[in-house]
Amino acid sequence: MNDLASTAAVGPRVAASHAGARTKVAVRDLHFHYDGTHALKGIDMEVPEKQVTAIIGPSGCGKSTLLRVFNRIYAIYPKQRATGKVLLDGEDILDPAYSLNRLRSKVGMVFQKPVPFPMTIFDNVAYGIRHHEKLSKAEMRSRVEQALRRAALWDEVKDKLKHSALGLSGGQQQRLCIARCIALRPQVLLLDEPTSALDPIATGRIEQLIEELKRDYTIVIVTHNMQQAARVSDLTAFMYLGEMIEFGDTEKIFTKPDKQQTEDYISGRFG
Amino acid sequence: MTTPTHDHIVRSYDTELARLTGELVTMGEMAASQLDAAMDALDKRDSLAAQRVVEKDDLLDAQEDRISEDVLRLLALRQPMARDLREVLAALRIASDIERIGDYAANVAKRSMTLNLSAPVPLATGLPALADVAGEMLHKVLAAYRNRDAESAHRVWKRDTELDTLYTGLFRELLTYMLEDPHSITACTHLLFIAKNIERIGDHATNIAENVWFVAHAEVLPEKRARHDVPAGPQPVNDGSFGDG
Repeated sequence: MNDLASTAAVGPRVAASHAGARTKVAVRDLHFHYDGTHALKGIDMEVPEKQVTAIIGPSGCGKSTLLRVFNRIYAIYPKQRATGKVLLDGEDILDPAYSLNRLRSKVGMVFQKPVPFPMTIFDNVAYGIRHHEKLSKAEMRSRVEQALRRAALWDEVKDKLKHSALGLSGGQQQRLCIARCIALRPQVLLLDEPTSALDPIATGRIEQLIEELKRDYTIVIVTHNMQQAARVSDLTAFMYLGEMIEFGDTEKIFTKPDKQQTEDYISGRFG
Repeated sequence: MTTPTHDHIVRSYDTELARLTGELVTMGEMAASQLDAAMDALDKRDSLAAQRVVEKDDLLDAQEDRISEDVLRLLALRQPMARDLREVLAALRIASDIERIGDYAANVAKRSMTLNLSAPVPLATGLPALADVAGEMLHKVLAAYRNRDAESAHRVWKRDTELDTLYTGLFRELLTYMLEDPHSITACTHLLFIAKNIERIGDHATNIAENVWFVAHAEVLPEKRARHDVPAGPQPVNDGSFGDG
């Protein structure tokens, strides 16, 4: 894991500000086309390290597409084409020379619906690790435990690791997916509507988890829930029709945004 | 400065915000007419009218409670953001300022009833002028709030200096009377308290102006309030501690 201690010393106030934090992902004039649609139109943004960046905007604004570009799963789009640069620690991940395996080990993604594999809780977490590393049984056990602990799920599942993951509740399944993701020791976590299928209590647990995980990971979350963006993120980007309308400190975006469009959207006036 | 260009998607949200404004304007008008009625009762030495002013203060308190409930409901159920949030926050603050204005008007009425127990004294010449300026500030700031007109709220805000100057003049005038005729001390002291109450009404009108500015600009008024104390000799205490607060 890339250990850059330079940002670790900043206090919460400073950490809440874009300025001063090291940039983990830099997006430069990113355009994305698929199937005749110009889905992202010249996006520029800097995602700071070990902070939570939220992307909000109405359906179809391109926020999920942008998230998908961050780990190149956009291959699922027909006739797609991405131009511009997405620099992860200075290296362009859009460059075909940047291997997908390497990228996916650095950038993990959790989706709207928890999708546990039809196997045991233990194997769900171990599955990804086996793809990337050869570990001894003891090492694997410790890695799985570590991941489950980090995902705040260990205490609930430690006695039933050999049970099927499908028996877990929705909230537990989502935390299992987060555990599966962080078991690979990524640097960036992409969360695409991670709580939209969860009840408020399970949502609260995930939000608490996000707060804990940002000590070690750079997190980008796409959410339809503006209050959630306001609660969990340090920075917020507002997108509309494939463009980045405004990007700044969450507190500013939700109290006095610069752009009228942002204000209209966050105050429920978009029309 | 931001101005909403659209209505809310949920139209009942707009209805609730508009109702909040309406309730505040109503409350403000109630307070303004309380001040007018108290000054009228003072001028005419009408203790019954003054008593009515005192009793009517309960209506203002009840109106403030109603506004607090509306604010609480809006915060809990609508989760207002940005300008909407400032609107709701300002409404709560403005209601509290108007409630204080009502208290001061009631205090003027109470003092006038006490004055009526002794022989008539000529009103200090500056007193009606002071009440006129305070009343005008109140009317104008309420209009500025209703129209969300930050510039005209700022003009009201600037008039507080004028009110302070009038008050200082009045203080000297009453002090002169007291020095000339110690028998007038009791009455003049009551008049001085009345003057202080009116001066405080101006301060609360100024607070309301600051809130109108805050709603529109998302920041506090950059200017600071000037303090206008007389340079030497006996001075009116302008720290708000003097009065029927």
